[in-house]
Amino acid sequence: MKLTWKIAKWEFTRNFTNKQFLIGLLLTPIIMLLFAGVPQLISKLDKPQQEVFYVIDEISEFGQLVEAATDTNLKFVQYQGELAELDELVLEEEATGYFILNQAFLKTGQVQVHTAEKKVMFKELQGLLSNLLQGLRVQEIGIKQEQVAYLTSPALLSSVHIGGESNGDQSNRIGVSIALAGIVLFLIFTSGAMLLQSALQEKQDRMAEIILSSVSSDNLMQGKIIGHFLLGISQLVLWLSIGLPAAWYFMDIPVWAMISLGQLPILIFFALTGYLLFAALFVGIGSTMTDMQSASNTQGMVFMLPMLGFIFVGPVISNPNGLAAQIGTFFPLTSPTITILRLGLAEVPTWELVVAAIILLFTTLLVIKAAAKLFRVGMLMYGKTASVAEMWKWMRY
Amino acid sequence: MNNTLDVKNINKTYDGVKVINDISFAVKAGEIMGIMGPNGAGKTTTIRMIMGITAPDQGELHFFLNGESRNRIPQASVGYLPEERGLYKEAKVMEILLFLSGLKGLDKVIARKRIMEWLEKFQLADKANSKVQQLSKGMAQKVQFIASVLHQPALVVLDEPFSGLDPVSQDVFKQEIRQLADQGMAILISSHQMNLVEEICNRIFIINKGEKVLYGPLQDIKAQYGSYQVNIIAEQEIPELTRSPLVQSFQRLGKKWSLVLKDNTAPAQFLATIPPESPIDELSVARISLHDIFVRIAKGGSSDEINLENR
Repeated sequence: MKLTWKIAKWEFTRNFTNKQFLIGLLLTPIIMLLFAGVPQLISKLDKPQQEVFYVIDEISEFGQLVEAATDTNLKFVQYQGELAELDELVLEEEATGYFILNQAFLKTGQVQVHTAEKKVMFKELQGLLSNLLQGLRVQEIGIKQEQVAYLTSPALLSSVHIGGESNGDQSNRIGVSIALAGIVLFLIFTSGAMLLQSALQEKQDRMAEIILSSVSSDNLMQGKIIGHFLLGISQLVLWLSIGLPAAWYFMDIPVWAMISLGQLPILIFFALTGYLLFAALFVGIGSTMTDMQSASNTQGMVFMLPMLGFIFVGPVISNPNGLAAQIGTFFPLTSPTITILRLGLAEVPTWELVVAAIILLFTTLLVIKAAAKLFRVGMLMYGKTASVAEMWKWMRY
Repeated sequence: MNNTLDVKNINKTYDGVKVINDISFAVKAGEIMGIMGPNGAGKTTTIRMIMGITAPDQGELHFFLNGESRNRIPQASVGYLPEERGLYKEAKVMEILLFLSGLKGLDKVIARKRIMEWLEKFQLADKANSKVQQLSKGMAQKVQFIASVLHQPALVVLDEPFSGLDPVSQDVFKQEIRQLADQGMAILISSHQMNLVEEICNRIFIINKGEKVLYGPLQDIKAQYGSYQVNIIAEQEIPELTRSPLVQSFQRLGKKWSLVLKDNTAPAQFLATIPPESPIDELSVARISLHDIFVRIAKGGSSDEINLENR
């Protein structure tokens, strides 16, 4: 165990002091912020172009039209000259087009817009003219604006959960559950990728044999798994220490209140065992490859396995105790993420948790054992990526 | 001298092919034992079995440390320089040596002191804080060598320690290895460069196609294959020498002639038969080299094996 810790410590410090890792550590939150902020920034910078329309006003409502267009990108210019010259004027002034407001508009609501370009979107103009038309017709009939608002107001729905939880609480709860499951998945992916890289590096740097003359292959594998787990956790802690207050402050989500303390040990068990399962799988398979490029289809598929959980996310959210949710909970490769997701969404029957935990634990132990066998042989094999048949043979030794 | 390592009748089969066939030898404290053979003879497989990286299918390995016999390798008491060697390229020399000696259980303070001593010995003291990727191949090999002996192991296993080294560095290595043996370490060296190893080994084990070819003290082997080789430089033919009844065989390469004398023929005996008018420019006499002995035996097959160990 002492040697395992020495390896874990080495893996941890070697990566934690690595420039690339540090840059990634600091850049990721910045990139996240950028992804959130840049679209807004761009939308501010890239204001839509103002659209200029000439209007021939035969119903004396131009003033109202201009007033309605105050906060829009529309600009109206009243035209009182010859209609025949208007086409030319629009093209000359690079305006969007022109239209005529007349009695026919009041009666039928139809307006013909003459445009300079072939394709023009009228959504904003249409809204504006619709409002103008409605206002004018309301006046004509003689009902008050307030009465119109009263008549046209929509039904407003809000739900109150019998247990006392409001709708907002529930959507927050779903959000937090997805986030928790996502964090586990993220940890599996990032630490898994680093683990794989580390096993490959060991082979590429030709260090495996030197290390294996001092420690057993089991020690080396365990040390790597623990070291990268700690690395992943510290990465998460750093990011969450930025992300959680941000979620609290900006989005007003009381994250901690959403996780019930009683469930925390179950949550930690599934997260940890799940990490171990995939870490062992990754490091075992990683040791059988020469480099990332040489990964065969089968090996590539293994790295996609954590994604399996995604199949169940939709069905589980719509029915947290349905058949899909149960299958997702029992199947060891999806069990860690789906169980965590379900725990946040609904009350999961205890027997299901126990069965899922036993299956997951058993599978994890089996995978660790198989991975250790692959690792033992794979780490000493240079210049060749093992075939599936070879891997099978090593596992049966 | 006491045995530090005893290898007894080990066998290894890969995919139905016997790569090691019933091999036995010992390494004693304070001696340099050479395991030699051509590429693919089974040297590295044997060493990996000793190091516990793979296990023999049959046979036994015994390690003797502090009066105790063990079947499993006492990893902290063994140093190893593998043939497939490398170092973490991103790591600094001092860091990596501290890490590796830490795995052998060496205290950090002592390790740091010894690392500096070794680096100074190899004139690498200014590289302690350099990254491995900044070192030349020879420098990196020295660092790897340091890693294998830093914890003062009872047994050091060096797989092809001279490969890739320039002649100057080879000499430095030979000198250091000799000193370690003088301090009482048991040293097992594998190499296919027989000329290099024969200079420093006390005893040798020659392996070919997974089988023992020769085993015993170097001097005994040379005495057994006791012939001498006479190297002559002569522009013209020297039939009076090549046809001499004292000469077993000869080879000619341009103006270089090399004559192997028959067993038990003393050099002086042969020299006395050289006519004064022989057109010889240069002449030297040496014991037949290990390389030649090996070639002689390998050509005759491993049935020609001899064991001088128990004579």
